[in-house]
Amino acid sequence: MSQLDILLVVLRVAFGAFIPICFIAIGVWMERRGAGFIQDRLGPNRCNIFGFRFGGLVQNLADGVKLIFKEDMIAGHIPHRFYFVLAPVLVFFTALVSFAAIPFADTLVLGGRSYIMQTIPFDIGILWFLACTGFAVYGIILAGWSSHNKYGILGGLRSAAQVIAYEIPMGLAVVSLLVVYGTVNLSEIARFQGQLLFGFIPMWGVILQPLGVVIFIVAAFAETNRTPFDFAEGESEIVAGFHIEYSSMKFGMFFLGEYVAMFASSAIIVTLFFGGYQIPWLATETMVAYAQPIAIVLMLLLPVITYYFTNWIRKNNVSHYYRPNDPLVREANVYIKICWILAAAVELILLTLVVINPSADGVRIFVVLLQMATFLLKATIMCFVYVWVRWTLPRFRYDQLQKLGWQILLPMSLVNIFITSAVVVALS
Amino acid sequence: MTVKIKTLERQGSTFIERLYLIEVFRGMRTTFDHFWRILLDNSKSYVRHYPEVKPEITPRWRGRHRLTTHDDGTVKCVACFMCQTNCPSHCISIEAAERVDGKSEKMPVRFEIDLLECIYCGYCVEACPMDAIRMDTGIYSVISSERSSLVKGMDELLATPGAFSEEDYRKRGL
Amino acid sequence: MLSQWLFYAFATVSVLGALGLILSRHPMNGAMWFVVTLVSLAGLYSLLSASLLFALQLIVYAGAIMSLIIFIIMFLNIQPADIPDEKGKWAYLLGGCLAVTPIGLLLLKIVSTLPGGEIDIVGNGFGNVKSVGMVLFRDWLLPFEIVSILLLVALVGAVVLAGKKEITQ
Repeated sequence: MSQLDILLVVLRVAFGAFIPICFIAIGVWMERRGAGFIQDRLGPNRCNIFGFRFGGLVQNLADGVKLIFKEDMIAGHIPHRFYFVLAPVLVFFTALVSFAAIPFADTLVLGGRSYIMQTIPFDIGILWFLACTGFAVYGIILAGWSSHNKYGILGGLRSAAQVIAYEIPMGLAVVSLLVVYGTVNLSEIARFQGQLLFGFIPMWGVILQPLGVVIFIVAAFAETNRTPFDFAEGESEIVAGFHIEYSSMKFGMFFLGEYVAMFASSAIIVTLFFGGYQIPWLATETMVAYAQPIAIVLMLLLPVITYYFTNWIRKNNVSHYYRPNDPLVREANVYIKICWILAAAVELILLTLVVINPSADGVRIFVVLLQMATFLLKATIMCFVYVWVRWTLPRFRYDQLQKLGWQILLPMSLVNIFITSAVVVALS
Repeated sequence: MTVKIKTLERQGSTFIERLYLIEVFRGMRTTFDHFWRILLDNSKSYVRHYPEVKPEITPRWRGRHRLTTHDDGTVKCVACFMCQTNCPSHCISIEAAERVDGKSEKMPVRFEIDLLECIYCGYCVEACPMDAIRMDTGIYSVISSERSSLVKGMDELLATPGAFSEEDYRKRGL
Repeated sequence: MLSQWLFYAFATVSVLGALGLILSRHPMNGAMWFVVTLVSLAGLYSLLSASLLFALQLIVYAGAIMSLIIFIIMFLNIQPADIPDEKGKWAYLLGGCLAVTPIGLLLLKIVSTLPGGEIDIVGNGFGNVKSVGMVLFRDWLLPFEIVSILLLVALVGAVVLAGKKEITQ
């Protein structure tokens, strides 16, 4: 193993471990501010460090510090303390490792050797994700059961029944998808979606499998226990469900696990149906061939985007009441300066790419960075869809949930498999 | 008053509505409209920036109590115990004494309102024959870190001025 | 070398899990020990580079079936008073072990006297989804379908039996 190999392995694992954790902050922030905006409120925007609020992100820090320093207690009536402690850990780590099989860029070719851009280079890809979501339910069941509490047990039971019911349509939706792609390897699935259908439509899963997308996304919502399927914690009827007896950071682990699971399932939805890291109409080889024109277009686009973004900051980062010498305007000025400095730095890097005409390796790294950015952007948008649906739809009734799972999604996914197989056989 | 009957059309029975998915997207469009509106210009949100921007209090608002005075600054209360008798939560306690300045025969030497007990119903104001107790201070947020300081004595009740002019207070329409 | 140590680790853990399943008193503990066994068996499959079997072991056995079993255990809400008093458990265990020992020794003897056959090491790709699917659906299609029909019959039978009971009540 050369130094480069080791460096790339470290980078890969770091990406797989840190990006989901960083997305907890972004997910929670998006959830709270998004909920506010959808309900014509503003959401938490007061917390600050030296007057810098970063759009409310500092609130997460405050909440995290509060959770960590709260008293960590286990109620005296709990007989199985080991399971009680194990449960939040299971929920968090299964969510974290389920991200490991997802490719975040195309294979990086450096000096004739190729490196897979995936945390752990699995063959089984999507099966690993299904296995991890199957394990996440243990955390919830154990939490509900070991809490030794009516509400906890009810929450655990509901969650277990729900996850088992929705794993089946999810697996069947994946089966029809595999018929189309002909592989379970997520890297190959993402590469497949770089092709063009009829020469002008990106060959994304959403176009090849319109029914499969709906089934998979509904099942993914149910698997992550998000509204409209968050029966495990339905606060109006079973208080808080499975995490009712948890306090402090043990509750925090459940909370963080929910957001990691949300990000991981967003990433898998993006990889399976929305082209993964692929930029539409720009396959990896095209991008490598036309690296300089792409860089020039980016150089032209970046100032425009920064201009509009800074204008938006200036317009919105002000106090909406009379305040002499408004500190928010001062804050906005600093943000705007930071934005322009960042933009200038990126411009400089792109300029070197255009002027100096780098080696093949440099171009490859540029392409991989672009693809990583695309992947993260798509995953963020999918996370926003999770938030958006949560604040749009009310919770189902429990019998409606089971009816939807067994009587509608299951037959639909079976029909989808038949249709897909027939079409694939007819075309081949 | 005649009872108005308005028959609402029952929704959700057509085929497209039963599909649910299309309705989901319609709902999502509605919420996204709100999201986008606030995102582009957050001054459009229906939010009062509370600690800095206070709500407008009308003269009808029943805020914290105060005891009124005659023009020469002496207390109007005649210690008739009307308010104490009327109070449904028993938060007023009065101790009466003989009055020597000739305004009336009795006056309170101790007049305490326990704000932790008070339910702000305003019966004391209505019961008072002398217009001696009013709830027009406009104070709607009473906070303290110790219980004893929330039992307001006569000095404090006399010291708080009314928030409205006499004319406005009269017009409050009770 | 590493794979050998991993093999020992997984094998030990799976045996320990099986022991835990037998010896633990509370059904939930037993079920959790069994999960440990199933996961370490999945580890053994992955050492054999049988990636599909590894995934299926995790999804089907450890993920779905065991969570159903735990679901049932939770549903029954077993109190400490409900667990039967197992008197003389250790004596039975010891006796059983002693009874089985001669057979075990015999088996060991037989295995050690087996002639060393030629063992082919199959390539790394044999356990992936495609090759397993090819074998299953090309060479063993009929047995596979018969097994699936058998499972279906068992399923329908279970549903019928459960339904009958309700009617007689």
